[in-house]
Amino acid sequence: MSENLSKLAYRKGLKNPLFEKLVTISKEKRKPGAEEMRSLAKDFLVGNANVHGALSFYDFLSEEHQSKKVYMCNGSACLVAGTQDALKKKLTAHFKEEEIGHMCCLGRCHENSAFHYEGKNYSGNNGLAIEKVIKGKGENLDIYHVQSNLKDPILTNPYPDENSFFEFVRQCLTRDKDELLEEIKKSNVRGRGGAGFPMGLKLESCKNVPSDQKFVVCNADEGDPGAYSDRYLLEKQPHLLLFGMLMAGYIIGSNRGVIYIRGEYPESITVIHEEINKWEKIGLLGENINGNGFDFRFKIIEGAGAYICGEETALLSSIEGQRPEVRVRPPYPTQEGLFNLPTVVNNVETSATLYYILKNGGAKYASLGTGKSTGSKLVCLDSLFNNPGMYEIEMGTPLSEVVNDFGKGFKEKVKAIHVGGPLGGIVPVEKIDDLTLDFESFASNGFLLGHAGVVSIPEDFPMIKYLEHLFEFTAVESCGKCFPCSIGSVRGKELIQKAQNEDFKIDRQLMDDLLETLEIGSLCALGGGLPLGIKNALKYFDKELKTYFA
Amino acid sequence: MSEQKNIAYINDQPFEFEKGEMILSFVRRMEQSVNVPTLCDAPNLKPFGSCRVCSVDVALEKNGKAKTMASCHTPVMANSYIYTDNERITRLRKNILELVLTDYPLDRLYESKAGKNELQNVANQLRITPDDIRYPLGKNHLDRKPDTSHAYMRADLSTCINCYRCVRACDEVQGEMVLTMSGRGFDSTITMGMNEGFKESDCVSCGACSQACPTSAITDIFNSKQTVPDKVTRTVCTYCGVGCNLDVSTVDGEIKSILAPYDAEVNQGHTCLKGRYAFKFYDHEDRLRSPLIKKNGEFEEVSWDEAYDYIVDKFTEIKSNNGADAIAGISCARATNEENYLMQKFIRAVVGTNNIDGCARVCHSPTALGMQRTFGTGAATNSIKDIQFTDCIMVIGANPTDAHPVTGAKLKQKAMKGTPMIVIDPRKIELTRYATHHLQLRPGTNVALLNMMMHYIVREGLVDSDFVEQRTEGFEVFKESILKLNMDELESITGVDKNLVRDAAITYATAKNAMSFHGLGVTEHFQGTFTVTLIADLAMITGNIGRPGVGVNPLRGQNNVQGMADMGAQPHQGAGYLEVDDPKNHNLYQDFYGVDLPLHAGYKIPQMFDAAIEGKLKGLWIIGEDVVQTDPNTNHVKKALSNLDIFIVSELFMTETAKMADVVLPAASFLEKSGTFTNGERRIQRVNAVVDPLPGTRVDGQIIVDIMNRMGYKQPDYHPKTALEEISKIVPFFKGVKWDELGDNGKQWPVLEDGKGTEIMHTETFKIGKGQIQFHHFEESSEILENSESFPFILTTNRELEHYNCGAMTRRTPNVEILTEDALLINTQDAEGKGIKDGDIVCVSSARGKVDLKARVTNEVKPGVLSTTFHFPEVLVNILTSGVVDSEAMCPEYKVVAVDVRKARKTGMRKLGKVEERKVRV
Repeated sequence: MSENLSKLAYRKGLKNPLFEKLVTISKEKRKPGAEEMRSLAKDFLVGNANVHGALSFYDFLSEEHQSKKVYMCNGSACLVAGTQDALKKKLTAHFKEEEIGHMCCLGRCHENSAFHYEGKNYSGNNGLAIEKVIKGKGENLDIYHVQSNLKDPILTNPYPDENSFFEFVRQCLTRDKDELLEEIKKSNVRGRGGAGFPMGLKLESCKNVPSDQKFVVCNADEGDPGAYSDRYLLEKQPHLLLFGMLMAGYIIGSNRGVIYIRGEYPESITVIHEEINKWEKIGLLGENINGNGFDFRFKIIEGAGAYICGEETALLSSIEGQRPEVRVRPPYPTQEGLFNLPTVVNNVETSATLYYILKNGGAKYASLGTGKSTGSKLVCLDSLFNNPGMYEIEMGTPLSEVVNDFGKGFKEKVKAIHVGGPLGGIVPVEKIDDLTLDFESFASNGFLLGHAGVVSIPEDFPMIKYLEHLFEFTAVESCGKCFPCSIGSVRGKELIQKAQNEDFKIDRQLMDDLLETLEIGSLCALGGGLPLGIKNALKYFDKELKTYFA
Repeated sequence: MSEQKNIAYINDQPFEFEKGEMILSFVRRMEQSVNVPTLCDAPNLKPFGSCRVCSVDVALEKNGKAKTMASCHTPVMANSYIYTDNERITRLRKNILELVLTDYPLDRLYESKAGKNELQNVANQLRITPDDIRYPLGKNHLDRKPDTSHAYMRADLSTCINCYRCVRACDEVQGEMVLTMSGRGFDSTITMGMNEGFKESDCVSCGACSQACPTSAITDIFNSKQTVPDKVTRTVCTYCGVGCNLDVSTVDGEIKSILAPYDAEVNQGHTCLKGRYAFKFYDHEDRLRSPLIKKNGEFEEVSWDEAYDYIVDKFTEIKSNNGADAIAGISCARATNEENYLMQKFIRAVVGTNNIDGCARVCHSPTALGMQRTFGTGAATNSIKDIQFTDCIMVIGANPTDAHPVTGAKLKQKAMKGTPMIVIDPRKIELTRYATHHLQLRPGTNVALLNMMMHYIVREGLVDSDFVEQRTEGFEVFKESILKLNMDELESITGVDKNLVRDAAITYATAKNAMSFHGLGVTEHFQGTFTVTLIADLAMITGNIGRPGVGVNPLRGQNNVQGMADMGAQPHQGAGYLEVDDPKNHNLYQDFYGVDLPLHAGYKIPQMFDAAIEGKLKGLWIIGEDVVQTDPNTNHVKKALSNLDIFIVSELFMTETAKMADVVLPAASFLEKSGTFTNGERRIQRVNAVVDPLPGTRVDGQIIVDIMNRMGYKQPDYHPKTALEEISKIVPFFKGVKWDELGDNGKQWPVLEDGKGTEIMHTETFKIGKGQIQFHHFEESSEILENSESFPFILTTNRELEHYNCGAMTRRTPNVEILTEDALLINTQDAEGKGIKDGDIVCVSSARGKVDLKARVTNEVKPGVLSTTFHFPEVLVNILTSGVVDSEAMCPEYKVVAVDVRKARKTGMRKLGKVEERKVRV
């Protein structure tokens, strides 16, 4: 969050930013040498230390990562599904142990057994398939159910007729900005990234900040293990995302959209590139696209393996080539965001709703759901469901309907579902009937809707292992800035490991203190959100866990 | 409508807060009884929010449901209830600290008795002891190895708590960005450069990180922050015209370390390696400790009485045989105002001549003259703090990041954040990295370049005609001349693309507030005074005078070069800049000093040397200036000095100049005396003696007073209070200056009778009524006209961060381990043409002589231009420099020397100065 670094990065702009250069170099499977780093620092007017510091943050930019040939998913869903031991066995037939690395959640939770090889993601535990992949003949098939309980889905309709769609885009760009904003406010659509902030207010706040340059940034760094709804939208509904961002730019007065897509989703990056090219060709991007002086262009930034970049301020720092450490708020991004200029940061799913809202009116959107939680929510079900897939569910729908009618129940006995990613709540199966799918129901029951990815924890998966996994995830992904998260996550992991491996019982008061410190003391939702699931587990799985506590 | 007050409650007590204020500063401001602990927050850094120890509870109603917020970065909300240490908050803080201590060497925590470790202070406040740590031993970083590679900086990251203060200080304060965090999460660690040690990194040793560190994980060889002093003395740095305040710690009368006070208006907790670390010269074994008289060619130690008698006898003899004008004095820009006042008074009132000058002659005399001619006052129009208000900065002929590091850092900070900056300099100085415009002109063509800028401003209609009409005179004549200039011709003279000049001119003229800074690259030229005049013109025609964020701001080289001139150490003006040959002033001074005074102006320094060679000048007393090493044309200077009947030098060390003296007086350094210095923004600040003068040495002021009395003039013993009282009666702009009222941050002159100082000058009117706009044509220096055929390169001189002028002080500190020698900068293309490789010894020759230097091949200078420093006596670069001086103020032209360069025939260096043994004690 260095003002100097933000402003120096702005001088270079988005054409070929430092971070992109580092990612490009990493794709050559190497780490830049000292001379190369010095020359980058010189070019970008920053200290040598800044280049080194940024480089050292990301998994994909490390030499260790580059020394691997194949990467197994180690996200929560693959872990609890228990598919990765078998996968590893099969991979060792083709790779040396030291050539097998990890990536955290490839978004193939519907099938698990996920791995990444030469720029593509695969899933499936079929030995023959793996052999094909390695011989360059495998297909990275990616099949999952997509359904909705809405008559006229918001996010899961097939790609519309291009002519009428683009005609609608053009028409929107001639509409009055305030009128458009009014529709969005009326819809009461809330951010789908986890925090649930009303999008209309965010746009309005940014619109009201006077500035010659503003940015629209899409947070497509869907890092929550268990969620692949953004990946779905990026790959299957890219037009909805571009539309949403373009309109946000039009409304707030920005000519630049930046889509930050995680490096773990190579296919998403390709599809979005293609979609942008299409829009450019038909003149919907570039200069003066509405005949009224409105310019708009997109820039795709590819992530490099750091969960924290899904936190919006870390994401902005990442684009700027700084270390993606969480910034303090205020200033909020709408005031001082990318390059310290006014910026709207939205999640993919949130942006994608604008097409429906502007086409059907905010009131129509608001009529769906519960009033407080309007519209629909994409819910991802993992491979332990009989019908794994990505479902668009109207807000307020009973959770049991999602589990039973869409997911068709579980393949094996499941004791809890972890909803909303690693920072979400752990819902014991007996509580499923108490919940409806909306922000309020989850919150009032002591859980979190979050991004609504669902990871099923099988009956025979030890809960203590799952808690270890959650602490470890935070320990690995913590940016390291705030003390509670960077130290606390490690100490929590150590306590749980020690309790499993040694004659050691965890002081319950100490654990409660640690959880409270993380919850109320952390700078961002990573440290702050970790305790929720742990606390749920301690409450609902007390019997199973008490053997580890004093 | 009644104004609504912003009220918030601290522990249920209502207080008024300022809009946008953070909770932490609000609580600190309002409730002294509450001590909110922090580990990552620091007075000169932006809120960062990493330690979370400053958390407080905030509720919307009394005892309502509270949310825990980090107070350092959470703004106060109206009508909110802030609870600073309820049970939950106390628990949170303890629990965070417990986590911190799981990765901290606990034996180190309690080793410092005085509570200098901020972590220890917080632990004590929260009543946490090592026994309170409940976590079993886990992963930690206690085995990190210390970095002892650097001359000053030290790191032991086993005691680092990852608060980022050092990283932020390096970035937000100094703007060097040498430090970073690297890695991620718990394993992240502070790193210098690209995981190097301090030594290999680009560290400039400013020590901002060391002062910021709460645990001294990053510190310095003096362990500055951990020093437990008997006494801390606040004083002012001696190393440049910025005037940084220093807090000097002493133990048993010995100086242990220096920190920069956060409440210093000049330097806000920052300073540079000279101010912070280069103090060990003060008790160096080389310090002169006894008066010396040269007898039969050898110095002999004598008593003060003998030395005084010798001087008094000689001066009296010369005065009666040759007249008072056969004696001269060179006062000292390093000495206090009071001492300078006394020295000029001694020469004028006791000796009876106006032959008094000072080293301002060789640096900023053209500034004083040029600004007097245009504005009526030869001093900075604005204050350094105006940097924060400006919209455009022009830096001409100055390299502030090396020569004025704290101001340089402020300028760099501003430029990095995007404020347009125009750098006019023959070298690619550090600021050009961030500047929007660099006009890399041929040395000696400032006048041509400024004329180009003003030509475009006039031509483009960017003149502020209201200002010009109401506040100035002479514009019409100026306009006529400036429009006649041929831009193509000036383009070829300056070597700068006229379009670049035009762009820069437009940037300056269209900025809402534009501020200029200049240094010796402006003044040390044949057309130095004219260049200053044009800089003033530029400000006037664009209306950039008399409000915050504008003005003409000379970066004064020596710590008290402003004050020395203010006090009258000039041959034509007495104390307070009154012309000595004006009968009215003459009477005023005669009445004031109670003696008869000469009515004619005296010699300027170059004239003194000429007069000595001619035999007209017989006696000379120099206080603290090494003219042999630093004045131009060394051989000429030496010849003059050896021709004197008596030559007295007051010095700290046996400099090249002192070696030639008949009498050497061992003087006290700035750390051993009190008085005032006036910095480059006219700020009169108190210098307070930190230690007693080294045995055998005396304070310059007292030495002068002693000799005054022995020569029959009654002058009370040296004390800044009484001397200032006298000064305030004769120097008009010192009228309200009182020793006891200067406070920690001093006052900016003019100080009115009621004691009120002046931050910005010329707000309503100029001292001389209207500002005088004057046109000057470019004229080539005779050095180039006469010598460039045989000596086709232009050598210019510059300064390096680590050393101060002749280096007498800095070479006796570990600074010399960082920068070890003078080097010649030569362009890659020229080096290739001459078969010179980086590190080769080269021979540089001019019409005066030749010296050997080590070559540094670089693109910092253009082809045809060379640059070097004169910090080291081994080289005596001034053997090369010429006798050309500024046509108006007689400031020597150090910046343009016609030279040739070739690879040296021998591999070793020709040693001209005697190589002093460099012993560095710490």
